Amino acid sequence: MSGVIVKDTDAAPERRLLARAAAADRSTLALIGVLLALVVANTVIDRSFLSLNQVRNTLLVTAPLALLAGGQTLCMLTGGIDLSVAMTATAAAYVTGVQSADGAAVAIVAGLLVGLVVGLVNGLAIGLFRVNPLIMTLGMSGILTGLLTVGSQSFLSGATRMSAFVLRLGGGTIVGPIPWNLVVWLALGSVLVVGLRRTGLGRMIYAVGDNRVACRLAGVRVWQVEAAVYVLCALLAAVAGILIGGRSGSVDLQLAGSYLLPSVAAAVIGGTSILGGVGGYTGTILGALILAVLDTMLNLLTVDEALKQILYGCIILVLAWVYARGTATAQ
Amino acid sequence: MSAPAITARPLGPTASRLARRHAWTVAVTAFFAVLLVWNASQTRNFGAFEIQTMLASTLALAYLAMAQSVVVIGGGIDLSVGALLVLANCLSARFMEHAGLGASLLVAVACLAVTAALGAFTGLIVTVSRIPAIIVTLATSFAWGGMALLVLHTPGGGAPAGFQALVLGSGNAWWPALLCLLAPLLLIWAPLRRSRAGIAVYALGSSDNAAYLSGVNPLRTRIVAYAFGGLLCGLAGLATTAFTGGGSPQSTIAMNATLNSVAAIVLGGVALSGGVGGLVGPVIAVWCLYLIPNIMLGLGVDPSYGEVVKGVVVVLVVLVGGLLRARRNRSA
Repeated sequence: MSGVIVKDTDAAPERRLLARAAAADRSTLALIGVLLALVVANTVIDRSFLSLNQVRNTLLVTAPLALLAGGQTLCMLTGGIDLSVAMTATAAAYVTGVQSADGAAVAIVAGLLVGLVVGLVNGLAIGLFRVNPLIMTLGMSGILTGLLTVGSQSFLSGATRMSAFVLRLGGGTIVGPIPWNLVVWLALGSVLVVGLRRTGLGRMIYAVGDNRVACRLAGVRVWQVEAAVYVLCALLAAVAGILIGGRSGSVDLQLAGSYLLPSVAAAVIGGTSILGGVGGYTGTILGALILAVLDTMLNLLTVDEALKQILYGCIILVLAWVYARGTATAQ
Repeated sequence: MSAPAITARPLGPTASRLARRHAWTVAVTAFFAVLLVWNASQTRNFGAFEIQTMLASTLALAYLAMAQSVVVIGGGIDLSVGALLVLANCLSARFMEHAGLGASLLVAVACLAVTAALGAFTGLIVTVSRIPAIIVTLATSFAWGGMALLVLHTPGGGAPAGFQALVLGSGNAWWPALLCLLAPLLLIWAPLRRSRAGIAVYALGSSDNAAYLSGVNPLRTRIVAYAFGGLLCGLAGLATTAFTGGGSPQSTIAMNATLNSVAAIVLGGVALSGGVGGLVGPVIAVWCLYLIPNIMLGLGVDPSYGEVVKGVVVVLVVLVGGLLRARRNRSA
């Protein structure tokens, strides 16, 4: 008797889960379709697109963007946003560059410490003191800009040449088309994917983004979840910054500035809702890849920078619109 | 979220309601007065010239803060204001380069028409697509930036000296810039705010469901808000052209301008959650943000620390505003 009941109540959520998984798969499949179409189009335009060298270049560009977008995804899943990722990345890279004289390990740890501090300040202000995430991270971006501008002439002055290890990590190749930074990305990326699906914190991130009040009433320490998210985001940004710095060799204050909007765009294209609770890192990875391949395509076609930006905007809009329609019909 | 929560209280006597409603603007004005006196005490012969410099160099950002305010009051947010400023800047700088004063005024009007239309278009997309405004305007900011590059490939163009003097004044004449700043406030915003359409903007920002159920047309209201925002962005672009005497299509300018506009409205008492605030507070906030680096320079501190102080001030204002609101809600 009780077995029947259990079976009955079990079947319904199972079916719902299956339906949800199917829906999630459909959007993932659609993204993969877009990506493949772009790759095919690129190959038609330029036969050498699938050559080892080109694949390597594409991956090299994608890895830092995907890491930044990963942090952005975490923030967006809780219903927030982090507009300080670009400056955090720049600051981390800058500190790493300055500390390079003391050896690669010290330099990297110093860079990551920058990320940790920035993330802690952001996270505590947003989680504990309930400052609006947009404003907090905007303010943090300004604070970091000011500190770096002053610091580059005083307490952070010195050679900003990356050490050999960081150069290798950011721009070197292991074998064939596989750059070193891909390894970093794969390691951190898989932690993110699994972490969001399987760990308590991962589920909590979705829950907080879905309904903050319900979470609080259910006894979740919401501020701890939010603090953790912004710390993780800043740490990912720091790693991305070090990789970007390693690729370009030397560091300046504009290093990662152009990555801010693409990091949000990659998460949005990947289907993460800015309202929180919906999305995931798999989509963001595809989003980042799509952006990178698209960028290559527009470069191959020697499209004017102006048209490139217009197209970029239109594509973000169209994809976001498709998602909005998709979720509207699903409900 | 941080401004006085007028809706939370039952209607009191008009005077206290007025005080409550304008408390934030009064506080920002007082803050500005303190900063101004401080700066004046640092500068020898502080006078009309310094005022003119302040008004002229903040005119563009003041317009932009007003644009952001209108949109945020209507319950949205516009990350493309900076890009629209750059577009108007490039358009006007390109076509004014060899024009006389009369022709350049025509160009200015055309620019305003373009940016207002683009703003209205943004409002249309936000309403029809139901995508969050932050995403739509992120996408349009790319598009407008691209268009600006299309108009002007490299920094260049120009503006007739007559136009520059007309907009900004020169030397000690500080009133042209002030008049230009007040024109959209008095001619468009003051009547709009009291009209049906203006009240609808506030209503939609407070609660879009309640506004819809009370008969507010969301499509028309959003288009009005974003179109007026676009017009103000156009004015900001023209002010930039007049100030720099040329056009520059760099995306970093757009981005910094957008970020500054958000900081200014927050400091100026516009709630990011919508429906609260006005257009005067943000303008005064822009002046405060301009004075901070100046004062630091006067104190002998590296003015680059100004960015740090600005960031801290904005965060603290939001923090304190939030705490005050929480306390008031608890006591109410």
